[in-house]
Amino acid sequence: MTAIVAHAAPIRWWNSRAVNRFMRHHLALLGIAMITLLVVACAIGPYALPYDSLQIDLRARFAPPLTGQHYFGTDPLGRDLAVRLLMAGRVSLAVGFSAMLLSTLIGTLIGVTAGYRGGWVGAALMRTVDGFLSYPSIFLVLALAATLRPSPVMITVIIAVTSWMETARIVEAEVRSLREREFVQAARMVGLSRAHIMFREILPNAMGPIIVAASLAVARAILLEAYISFLGYGIQPPLPSWGNMLNGAQQYLASAPWLAIIPGAAITIAVTSFNFIGDGLRDALDVRNDHI
Amino acid sequence: MSAFLLNRLIQSIVLLVIVSIIGFTVLNLMPGGPLAQFGLDPGMTQKDVERLATQLGLNRPLWIQYLDWAWRLMQGDWGHSFRDGSSVLAVIGRHLLATLLLMGTSTALAIAAGTWIGIRGATHRYSLFDYCATVGAMVALSVPTFWFGLIGIYIFTLKLGWVPAGNMYTIGDGSVLDYLHHLILPSLVLSLVHVAIWSRYMRTATLDALSQDFVKTARAKGVSERRILLKHVIGNALLPMITLAGMQLPSILTGALVTETVFTWPGMGRLFLDSLGYSDYPVVMGLLIFSAILVVLGNLIADIVIATVDPRIRLA
Amino acid sequence: MTKHSATTSNYSRRDALRMVAIGGAVGIFAPNLLGKPAFARASTKPSGRVIVGLGQEPTVFNPLMAHIEVDDGVHFSVFDALFRIDPQGVIQPNLAVEVPNQKNGGISEDGLKWRIRLRDDVRWHDGKPFSAEDVKFTLELIMNPNFRSWRTAGHALVRDITVVSPTEISWRMEEAFAPYLSFLTETFIVPKHILEKEANPNNAAFNQAPVGTGAFKWEKRVPGDHLELVANTEYFGDGPHIERLVFKYIPDLTVLYTQFKSGDIDLVGQPYITPDHYGEAKTLPNRVVTLLPRTSFESFYLNLERPQFKELAIREALYAAIDKEAIIQGLYYGVPTPTETFMPRQSFFFNANLPLHKFDLNRAAKILDQAGWAKGADGIRAKNGVRLSFANSTTSGDPLREQLQQFLQQTFAQLGVEMKISNLPAAVMWGEFWMQSQFDSVIVGSSYLIGADPDVTNRLHSRSIGAKGGRGSNNAQYANPEVDALLDKGARTFDPEARRAIYARVQELVRRDLPFLPLYQSNSVEGLKKGINGFVPNGNTRTESWNALAWYWAS
Repeated sequence: MTAIVAHAAPIRWWNSRAVNRFMRHHLALLGIAMITLLVVACAIGPYALPYDSLQIDLRARFAPPLTGQHYFGTDPLGRDLAVRLLMAGRVSLAVGFSAMLLSTLIGTLIGVTAGYRGGWVGAALMRTVDGFLSYPSIFLVLALAATLRPSPVMITVIIAVTSWMETARIVEAEVRSLREREFVQAARMVGLSRAHIMFREILPNAMGPIIVAASLAVARAILLEAYISFLGYGIQPPLPSWGNMLNGAQQYLASAPWLAIIPGAAITIAVTSFNFIGDGLRDALDVRNDHI
Repeated sequence: MSAFLLNRLIQSIVLLVIVSIIGFTVLNLMPGGPLAQFGLDPGMTQKDVERLATQLGLNRPLWIQYLDWAWRLMQGDWGHSFRDGSSVLAVIGRHLLATLLLMGTSTALAIAAGTWIGIRGATHRYSLFDYCATVGAMVALSVPTFWFGLIGIYIFTLKLGWVPAGNMYTIGDGSVLDYLHHLILPSLVLSLVHVAIWSRYMRTATLDALSQDFVKTARAKGVSERRILLKHVIGNALLPMITLAGMQLPSILTGALVTETVFTWPGMGRLFLDSLGYSDYPVVMGLLIFSAILVVLGNLIADIVIATVDPRIRLA
Repeated sequence: MTKHSATTSNYSRRDALRMVAIGGAVGIFAPNLLGKPAFARASTKPSGRVIVGLGQEPTVFNPLMAHIEVDDGVHFSVFDALFRIDPQGVIQPNLAVEVPNQKNGGISEDGLKWRIRLRDDVRWHDGKPFSAEDVKFTLELIMNPNFRSWRTAGHALVRDITVVSPTEISWRMEEAFAPYLSFLTETFIVPKHILEKEANPNNAAFNQAPVGTGAFKWEKRVPGDHLELVANTEYFGDGPHIERLVFKYIPDLTVLYTQFKSGDIDLVGQPYITPDHYGEAKTLPNRVVTLLPRTSFESFYLNLERPQFKELAIREALYAAIDKEAIIQGLYYGVPTPTETFMPRQSFFFNANLPLHKFDLNRAAKILDQAGWAKGADGIRAKNGVRLSFANSTTSGDPLREQLQQFLQQTFAQLGVEMKISNLPAAVMWGEFWMQSQFDSVIVGSSYLIGADPDVTNRLHSRSIGAKGGRGSNNAQYANPEVDALLDKGARTFDPEARRAIYARVQELVRRDLPFLPLYQSNSVEGLKKGINGFVPNGNTRTESWNALAWYWAS
């Protein structure tokens, strides 16, 4: 007897249930739209505007928005705010994204290893995670900023080093529960190597929470970069970042509020978008939603 | 269970030791130091600075300094601040109370509001309320706290004059009413993020619980929706909430840091920033140990709760 | 009371003579200086409360221990020193009966033997009488090798302290040291009967609850928040007139200003109001906002051992490329005053005849061209393989300084000079990075004077170079033998006129050599509530609260 093999139409990933669910999540779509808009604006915008982000003009200081060709006004040194905002967006978004990639990589590696191996290896790794968590992030940030000269690359590393712990925790918990599932036991019986099981069997099944955590990590990284630069230890002037733009703006809150409102709004929009996307991903990838 | 606890205890002590060693090394290797504040004094010479360094014991080899500190710590002596000489424990204690007041109030607000919003959002899923609550929560999570606090002061203190500009109480007046007056704006600003987190969490937990079979059973039995909510949903959401709270425990230290700076609240976050800024090593080390203890406790609570709930996870 | 004119010095001939003290009578009564004018009020019970807002927290209450400027406000109120320095720079007696000098025999002809007569009506806050024993104890405690004392310069030269009687003390100096009189105005006397009992004076309970002879008694402190002092009704001087003095700590400068506006604080202390709020602060109702000259000045400070700064031509060119006018008017709202020297303009020793700076980019370019620094392919000048590129650092998180840096960066770029900005947190910036001359260039605001004494050996003498094993803070590594000789002579000369000539020449040489590029002299924007009378600014002290005993609320 021959086995009958049914040939169903192959399901491509863009037709999968998860993606369909994602598409129904309006806010997540909004988030993607906003981020795309931001990225395009930051990439192309500076070329379309007539000013240079570094050009100081003391006669045009503190111009309110819509003064002449300064659509967003000027900053305390007379530089066009719109151009600086978009240039800063490049830095902040790039730093946020790279920091997320780096921290997700580190966190996943450690989480998978700790979750699968268990025993004293797992315990040691998780206590290492705890160790890093023991240091208030501000301590790590200040210590690193004092020792290493701040540059966008350094800031990325600093943020990644202070953010990978969350991912590791989440991944470790997920892997620990997946470890006892049948497919893993089957793989072990078949004799697949540990590394194979960890990264080719378990990891793809744990991708859900990882992706969600990653999108939230970008949001957190952008906020952290803003905070570090706000304190003065981040991106150094004259290179703009949303955080160091806020740093210079807080004392002018009463006299020139747009200096604080505009970069603050940009940060909020970017971070909200990533949070929406993360939320949509969480809803989409959560298998429990299959019932409803 | 007791084997697990013993295991954890040993691991935690090892953790504390390693955290303190690394923290100590990083602190001392950081350029600058507690004597940098005299760098611009026209009357202090290099000789004076070196003399002070020796008197503070900063010229001894690092490992001797560490062992000295660790030995004293084991005997219960957390050391004395370089700045005003008071005992580190007293310093931390005072600031801890202030932080607990602020965080306690804002967390209470957050749990109350967040629970209501979350449950309402879950039971009226996809309604306008739910939409607004979701978007609101997202935005609240995305707004930089320092920015929000400054705008709050601008509106409510400078423009409207409703609340004071900062501090915990008015000098000369220490009544409960005065404390509450000063507590309003900072705790509201701080609770913003927490309301968002709790409401999101409660919404998910409620949805989770509502989709369980026992709820269908209860409904079939005719139990009122309200009773289902109260008894089953909240009851089931409680344990994971404790887990979440456990994981948030270490944030007592610096979670309110920004709010404390903007509102001049003498809490732990400000203490940390100030001591780090002046390289007040004894206080910073004390805070690090305190933070590590919080992490250990938080983890312990979270792990015990998770294990109790999910039998598949062995407490290994 | 006194106004600070914008001209060079308000140190008249009469004042100079007073310092030489023709008769002892002039100095004895310290008229009107420490108390308010006699006609103003009959002595009544002190009443009212003044809250001073500070941007840093005072934490050191033993005035002999190492401390920073904000602690001075508390020390001046709780303690007394042998002498005080008034706003005009004249030294007045405080615990002493008169100021010793070579005319009245208080200081011997060779400057080595000092004899000081003390008041007999002074009591400590705990009731015990003050005597010369306390002075001896104080001077010896400073030199105690186990004690974390503040400055030891000057005190290290004191030998054979003898208590002649409870109201007279004498000692011998190892070498003639004229600045010592100024140092003594910042040396507060501590009680022997309390501190001698302590095994370790560093950890004494006294340090948390000081007992002094001053106009205010210590009441309590809420760490991280504020501290309260109450009036000492038994004070020997004319005052105090307020019942309670509170120092409140507000770490954020914007919030400090906000609390001033809202009335939560009555008086703005260090670091005062930032220049960008000056315009608005001036218009606030019920507030008095004035500009007060300080002794500190802002400079573009260079490390002379860097190859880029070795040539005088470069320093001159860089100086000519600074648009001081635009910086002061544009970035600082006209608050500070341009200066050519480290000496504050209100000082008796100020040299008004220094060449004035002129912003001229063309001239700067010409100087560099002539010196052989030609623009390379990247637009940056270079010579013999050395590019004219350097880093500039200052404390991070200071927006006005950052604006200044960016402005200078752009101007220098037009000249073909590349300046990179690299800011550091304060605890890092002023540590070894500063003290061991590890920087390229720095924007720094500091005072070179102690008290009002013009001796700047610590900053400009070649033996004060820390990086070369010296003992001072000459971090620019400036070495000029002529300046060295002048400084040595100035420290040994007691006659003010002679010293004036010496330090005028020092200022000339420093202006010519440009080890630092002087930008402006700081003026602090002082704000207080209308109704507080008796407030007198004193640029010769480091704090605004130096004479809190003279303050009173207008009724």
